[in-house]
Amino acid sequence: MTPAGALLAAALATPLAFVALCLLPGFRRRVFDLLPLAPLPALVAAVAAPGGSLLLAPAPMRLVLALDEPGAMLLGGAALLWAAAGLYARTYMATDPTRIGFAVWWLLTLAGSLGVFIVADMTSFYLMFSLVSLAAYGLVAHEGTPRAESASLIYMALAVLGEAFLLLGFVLLATAGPTGNPLIADAVASLPASPWRDATLALLILGFGLKMGLVPLHVWMPLAHPVAPMPASAVLSGIIVKAGVIGLVRFLPFDQPAADWGTALIVLGLFTAYYGVAIGITQSHPKTVLAYSTVSQMGLVAAIIGAGLELGAAGVSRLAAYYALHHMLVKGALFMGVGVMAATGARHRTLALGVMAVMALSLAGLPLTSGALAKYAAKGPLGDGLAGTLAALSAAGSALLMLHFLRLVAKTAPVRADAVAGWGLRAPWLATAAASLFAGWMLFAPAIGYAPASALAPAALWDATWPLLLGGLLAFGLARSGIGLPKIPEGDVAALAMCALPAVRRIGDGAERLDAALRRWPVAGLALMAIVLILGATLGTAR
Amino acid sequence: MGMATTTGPLLVLAVVVPVIGMLALLVMPFLGIRRPATVALAVVAVGVAIASAIGIDLVRSKEAIVYVVGGWAPPLGLQLRADGLSGVMMAMAALVIAAVALYARPQFDMAEDAPGGRRAFAFWSLLMGLWSALNLVFLGEDLFNLFVALELLTFAAVPLVCLDGKAETIEAALRYLVFALIGSALYLLGTAILYGQYGTLDIGTLHGRASANLATHAAIALMIGGLMAKAALFPLHLWLPPAHAGAPAPASAVLSALVVKAPFFIILRLWFDVLPEPPSEAAARVLALLGAAAILVCSVVALRQRRLKLMIAYSTVAQIGYLFLMFILIEPGVAPWTTIGWTGGMLQLISHALAKAAMFLAAGLIAEALGHDRIADLAGAGRTVPVSVFAFGLAGLSLMGLPPSGGFIAKLLLLNAAILSGAWWVAIVISVGGLLAAAYVARVLKRAMAAPATAIETRAVAREREWPALGLALCAVALGFVPLQPLDMLAIGRGALP
Amino acid sequence: MTGASLFGLAACVLIGLGLYGVLAHAAPLRRVLSFNLLGAGVFLLFGVAARRGAAAGLPGDPVPQALVITGIVVAFAATALALMLLRRLTALRAAERAADGLRDDPKGR
Repeated sequence: MTPAGALLAAALATPLAFVALCLLPGFRRRVFDLLPLAPLPALVAAVAAPGGSLLLAPAPMRLVLALDEPGAMLLGGAALLWAAAGLYARTYMATDPTRIGFAVWWLLTLAGSLGVFIVADMTSFYLMFSLVSLAAYGLVAHEGTPRAESASLIYMALAVLGEAFLLLGFVLLATAGPTGNPLIADAVASLPASPWRDATLALLILGFGLKMGLVPLHVWMPLAHPVAPMPASAVLSGIIVKAGVIGLVRFLPFDQPAADWGTALIVLGLFTAYYGVAIGITQSHPKTVLAYSTVSQMGLVAAIIGAGLELGAAGVSRLAAYYALHHMLVKGALFMGVGVMAATGARHRTLALGVMAVMALSLAGLPLTSGALAKYAAKGPLGDGLAGTLAALSAAGSALLMLHFLRLVAKTAPVRADAVAGWGLRAPWLATAAASLFAGWMLFAPAIGYAPASALAPAALWDATWPLLLGGLLAFGLARSGIGLPKIPEGDVAALAMCALPAVRRIGDGAERLDAALRRWPVAGLALMAIVLILGATLGTAR
Repeated sequence: MGMATTTGPLLVLAVVVPVIGMLALLVMPFLGIRRPATVALAVVAVGVAIASAIGIDLVRSKEAIVYVVGGWAPPLGLQLRADGLSGVMMAMAALVIAAVALYARPQFDMAEDAPGGRRAFAFWSLLMGLWSALNLVFLGEDLFNLFVALELLTFAAVPLVCLDGKAETIEAALRYLVFALIGSALYLLGTAILYGQYGTLDIGTLHGRASANLATHAAIALMIGGLMAKAALFPLHLWLPPAHAGAPAPASAVLSALVVKAPFFIILRLWFDVLPEPPSEAAARVLALLGAAAILVCSVVALRQRRLKLMIAYSTVAQIGYLFLMFILIEPGVAPWTTIGWTGGMLQLISHALAKAAMFLAAGLIAEALGHDRIADLAGAGRTVPVSVFAFGLAGLSLMGLPPSGGFIAKLLLLNAAILSGAWWVAIVISVGGLLAAAYVARVLKRAMAAPATAIETRAVAREREWPALGLALCAVALGFVPLQPLDMLAIGRGALP
Repeated sequence: MTGASLFGLAACVLIGLGLYGVLAHAAPLRRVLSFNLLGAGVFLLFGVAARRGAAAGLPGDPVPQALVITGIVVAFAATALALMLLRRLTALRAAERAADGLRDDPKGR
């Protein structure tokens, strides 16, 4: 076992070991305070082990861990955010009586979310993807309020639906390729020649798109994020949606251009980017606005990936990962910041609001922030055509949305005017914010291949600035015009889907009535006779 | 053919030892043993050892084990034969019965003259009889011998349903018995026709001799139809929900996990070993359609049950449906046991057996702790019997087909086979069935993990009583580490069929 | 018409009657009796098979007779079990009705 391989194994094993150790009462009492430690081996692995791999079980099981460049970027960011959010949770949930149970869900989600970045075979990927999807249920449902209950239910239903899409897609993929449990890369290589190529791609995009929140499968996000405790929202929005990103990055065949599906993904992604903004600005809860912003941003990531698929450019996986890393840290900092702002009195707010403004506008590409760098990176694959222009314009939308968010967050009233959030909240928040800047600049060259200075050229700076100005103008105009925005319920189309409930109930009633009718003695007896006759008749037909 | 192997007597022991246990229960008072559970557990230990020995011998010799009863070779005499498939089935039965026996011991540990003693005596005797009959089903090679084994199985299973002696459960038992008897009569009618045609009922002999003609097809249709009634394949499931929901938890576990699998096993043998090749695709489609209907309708009905045990019973009917999908997924022209459809179907059977037994055992303790099994009022179960709720969840994982679990691997292989054979609708049904299973399992777990709104009265349950269910659930999960390819074990001795 | 055909037809009639009875009747006792009729038909069919299997030069094939004897034992056991359950059920129902203060139903379900 190489040291790199051992690090990868440790990254995955540590959180799981924490869960197992929870069987010991002594450990269980302390587990909540130890949460920030669980992702640390992964952080080390992300820095020290790129390129490493480890065969956990030989063929035919073939369980393989491996860390490629996009995986390492996301793994490092995720481990950092998990650690910061764990630290944040220690203070934020210090008095929560059920935090031990929360810690178990937290650790399971953590293990799965890190796992998806480092597993290289299909079964393990599915296992890790299921783990992160299903365990996150515990984070969403934690508060136990009726809202949390219905949100977690919808989350669960959609997560399981996504699993079903993916499983079918994976089976199609594996059936076309080598037998047994193939490596993801081997299976994907056989996809272009697969007789079920289109069905496979459709299912994969549905399954991963659901996790990323592509419209119309985004409904779980604006419902789930606001009801979760603040640190859980941070990881849900920051990390867990990235399981979908890494899924698309790993499973789409970038080696050969696939114009049809690439274009479809670009259209879907850009539509989602605008849709998230349009619904987001009608929302009145800062966390809901952030959720819609995640929907919008993930739409942009999908568009980048789609552009890569269209061109057949494998390098796009690094760009998508770079963009996702930026969003991961910034969104994590924003969610944590909402909690900090709520605990900060009017007298101490200015500085905190300043940091929040930088982070929020980073999402819209504020120059010098990771957002500007990420958007600069996205220009490559999206190009200067319609898609590129629309993507650039969507930054104006992001600016509009984020200004709306800042207004909401500034209005949140704390208990006392001189209240100050403790360092337990402030330190992880500031660290995450700083990390977003640091990681953005550090990884710019390896991810994009240009020197960081190119992002400082006047043209690049202007490209980053005009959407902000446009967004600011839009926000100003919107505020002055006094146009009342419609009140759209959180989860928008989910509310529409609820209208279908009576129909679903009717199906259930129908099944029950059918069952009751078939279980009557003479009916079952006649069915038996009919089955014998039909079987007898059909057995005689030739194959 | 007809050559007994040296380890053949093991097969006789597998059938006879439980019967000896039954007899020992009768003479036990004269030996100074007062508790039937003591005797039964000793027999279970021996039985598990026998099943293990058979399994080990199969793996080592890679050949079927054969015993020719009384030295009279077929077609005139009877033969017992264990191939890889039988070996796996017997191991599964031994595992489930051992867990059930450990679980049932505290519940049925009274002496015969104590209150509830007769019930305890009945439970253990019936469990022994049932096990012997099961092993005979897995080992039998003669269609009439299999009929006798199935009848023994039914006669042991029916009284288990009404062990509590209440009017509703007796009614359920009677319904079960009479419907199963119709199935038996049809099966026997089929054997009569086959005998009239070929003058033998030995599967090995028929395998080469059966030809495609009207009488053979009619006979097989009658037999399969009768067996379907006993396996409670939708829409012939009228007897199963009340019977499996009314029985005491350990009995339900055995009934749902093992008893309904026996007729399916014989259908499998008729289809692949007796029917003249190649089996008709239209007939396979009929079986798969019924299976699909079972999955879709009964999963929805399970989702709407108010009582936990009824929900689990309906889940059994739905899961039986999966087994009948495999006939259409096995391509003609290749040896079935080398296909992933075969391995997937068998893995589905085994992981369902383990998971469903675990579920019923866990549900029994949940009901005991709360004093009821209304799903709406399960809140608090997670605190009172945490291990049982956990076991229920793990077993549910397998039913939903989520990794890591045997159910997942089975679903994956079946999906794979469905796509390879172009049966898209089967793939969709399997996926939708998984979603529905997730819904009905999650619905229970959600309630069980919730904190009760008001203080509820619970009865303490000894922690060690919760382990057997957990053990079975963990076995179902462990099956998830079976590699994704045709399993060699399931092919042992199949090719050698004359 | 040969004996075998006659017996075969008779078996078919018995099986038909038995099946009709076991499916159409609501009363459990009638179902159990119909099952016996059905069983008798199947056993008769075995008898026919024995006659037809006499081609080997024997006056009759002994194997089906052995099968029929076993089958009769099984059917007898099944009937006994069903009747015991039915008796117990009737007694319990009667006790229930008595407890409910209702008049005993003379039909006795």
